Amino acid sequence: MSSTTAQQAAAETQRGSRFSFSLGSVLVEARALVALAIIIVIFAALNDNYLAVSNLTTIAKDVSFNAIIALGMLMVILNAGIDLSVGSTVGLTGAVAGNLFRGVDLPLTEAVMFPATWVIVLISIAVGMLVGLVNGLLISRLNLAPFIVTLGMLYVGRGLTQVLLGGTNITNELRGQEGLGNTGFFEIFASRPLGVPIAAWVMIAVAVVFSLLLTRTPFGRWLYSTGSNERAAELSGVPIKRVKTRIYVLTGMCAGMVGILQIANIRSSTADLGEFYELNAIAAVVIGGAALSGGRGTVRGTIIGAFVIGFLSNGLVIVGVSPFWQTVITGAVIILAVAVDQIQQIVQRRRAQARAVAEARRVSEQAERDRDSEGKEAAGV
Amino acid sequence: MRRTILSTTAAIAATGLALTGCGGSEEADAGGEGGGGEGGGEISIITVDPSNPYWSAEIDTAETVAEEMGYSTDTSAHGNDPDEQTRLMETAINNDVDGILLDPAGADESVAIVQKAVDAGIPVSLVNAEIAETGLAEAQIVSNNAQGATVGAEAWAEAMEYEGTYVELLGKPSDNNAQVRSDGYEGVLSQYPDLEKVGEEIANWDRQEGQEKMEQLLSRYPDIDGVVAGNDEMALGAINALEQEGALDDVEVLGFDGNDDAAQAVAEGDMAATVLQPITEGTTQAMEVLDEVIRTGESPLEDEKVALDCVLITEENADQLQGFSLEQ
Repeated sequence: MSSTTAQQAAAETQRGSRFSFSLGSVLVEARALVALAIIIVIFAALNDNYLAVSNLTTIAKDVSFNAIIALGMLMVILNAGIDLSVGSTVGLTGAVAGNLFRGVDLPLTEAVMFPATWVIVLISIAVGMLVGLVNGLLISRLNLAPFIVTLGMLYVGRGLTQVLLGGTNITNELRGQEGLGNTGFFEIFASRPLGVPIAAWVMIAVAVVFSLLLTRTPFGRWLYSTGSNERAAELSGVPIKRVKTRIYVLTGMCAGMVGILQIANIRSSTADLGEFYELNAIAAVVIGGAALSGGRGTVRGTIIGAFVIGFLSNGLVIVGVSPFWQTVITGAVIILAVAVDQIQQIVQRRRAQARAVAEARRVSEQAERDRDSEGKEAAGV
Repeated sequence: MRRTILSTTAAIAATGLALTGCGGSEEADAGGEGGGGEGGGEISIITVDPSNPYWSAEIDTAETVAEEMGYSTDTSAHGNDPDEQTRLMETAINNDVDGILLDPAGADESVAIVQKAVDAGIPVSLVNAEIAETGLAEAQIVSNNAQGATVGAEAWAEAMEYEGTYVELLGKPSDNNAQVRSDGYEGVLSQYPDLEKVGEEIANWDRQEGQEKMEQLLSRYPDIDGVVAGNDEMALGAINALEQEGALDDVEVLGFDGNDDAAQAVAEGDMAATVLQPITEGTTQAMEVLDEVIRTGESPLEDEKVALDCVLITEENADQLQGFSLEQ
């Protein structure tokens, strides 16, 4: 059997299993959607301002930051990995951008270089991708556990952020100066084209691109297949190492974009920016129906998951729930969502097992009947 | 989870700092044995979080003052984690340093380890926060948070013209100062019946959380008149949120700490007032006491507990405020 036919066969089974997955994920997504609908109905009934345009704009912005990170996180979770370093990467890219606005002392000269705003943005996002690349290479080439590598990177990134900021916030420099040609940062990255915060536009763009990547390209097929059974995927010719490296670069890129958007949003680069973002992102992915064991999850589900968290946390503030209880309720909703998901899967698995047992019994009975009739024929001759 | 990650981050940051500190002190030992004059020796500076502008100012002051007195220093940070503080203090004790300047992690939690240092014959001077025991440390120099909150709230109430609705942004619930400041605000503001607090949210001393919570509060109370915040970072976040909604001109915001960004916001009229914690002054005093004890064995203080009054920062003096000290 040549490797092309093996790959074709794998693709066939993959399509087959993806069909059944999508059936499952429709149910799971429906569950997340129902949760979202319940949350919206409850809070809208309790407070008139909840669905006001200004509040929806606020929610859209807050959700977008989390959703962009969560979409990156979805990629690694599909691969049965995890990226705990994204929050630190947000802080780091923010600090890099802040320092570039402050000006770079060129070595060996007296000169200070002030890059243009768009250069600063590109360099900062590239730094995020670089962090992801280091994660990805360590995980794919040295076969290290993603949890450990990215946990280490969480500290390294946060430490570097503190080194770059040196105990200060970078605030005024972000405005830029006309003479230095680095103005316009806030005007672009804190803007609201058509009344919608720019972060939401970025979220939509990332969602569309990732969704195409997952459903329309070989990369997407490889990703799902490595997540559900890495060994089988490797045997059928999927370049699992390359896939693995790339997804961490993607999460780093997402974190980099959020770093830029967030320092424009709060108008300052601070040392603790992005703390615990990784946990919110994982929560969104999981509420959206993805399995931490890999191979299952969708862009749509993740976006819905992020909206569930966003609508919930906003609603709790709007109706005036005590701040201490807000944290408890948010945690409980995450656990509930995952528990329902798990129960649903157990039920599905039992049904599938029952079907398989019935099928096996039918086949074996058929075989017995066949043998009997063969025996009779033989006797008759 | 949250606490573990925080304290471990701090631990790693602290290790890095301790390492650089050691390198520095070695150099100093090798280079200038006879140069010091009356001072000389090594002081351990153990503080909270070097990435925060406030503690960064504390560290800078401590290092500068100690080096001027002829000491070499090593600096580390415990991130408000008592276990980490114990480790760092024990390292300092084992190194047999000549004195320790400590910003303690918790009033009750820090008593035993300060006792241990004192038993080992190492004088300890406390700055920024107290411990629940007297007679151990040579000095306990803190800024008077309750007084600061009172003067801040008075100035803000005046800016509000003693009427209107307001919301409060609270600091980290585990930090004692969050409650002290909130109570200080409440003590003043409850005297004015026309000032009504309609909501409060926890924003964990953080600018981004302050902004997010303020946006949400604005959705609920679009016609809010004022915001009191437990520190400057949360107040600055609230100002961002108000600015985006075009509501900043009608809303008075109160901060606390007196960091540089807040000074600028007050000078530009975005923030009604903030309160300067005299951390550079306090750190200098604590270091002076430590120096005196190391040289003479006697503390210059009659009472080890000193509460420095906070200074109200309004439009009139905001432009003199820089690096947590007022230029005269």
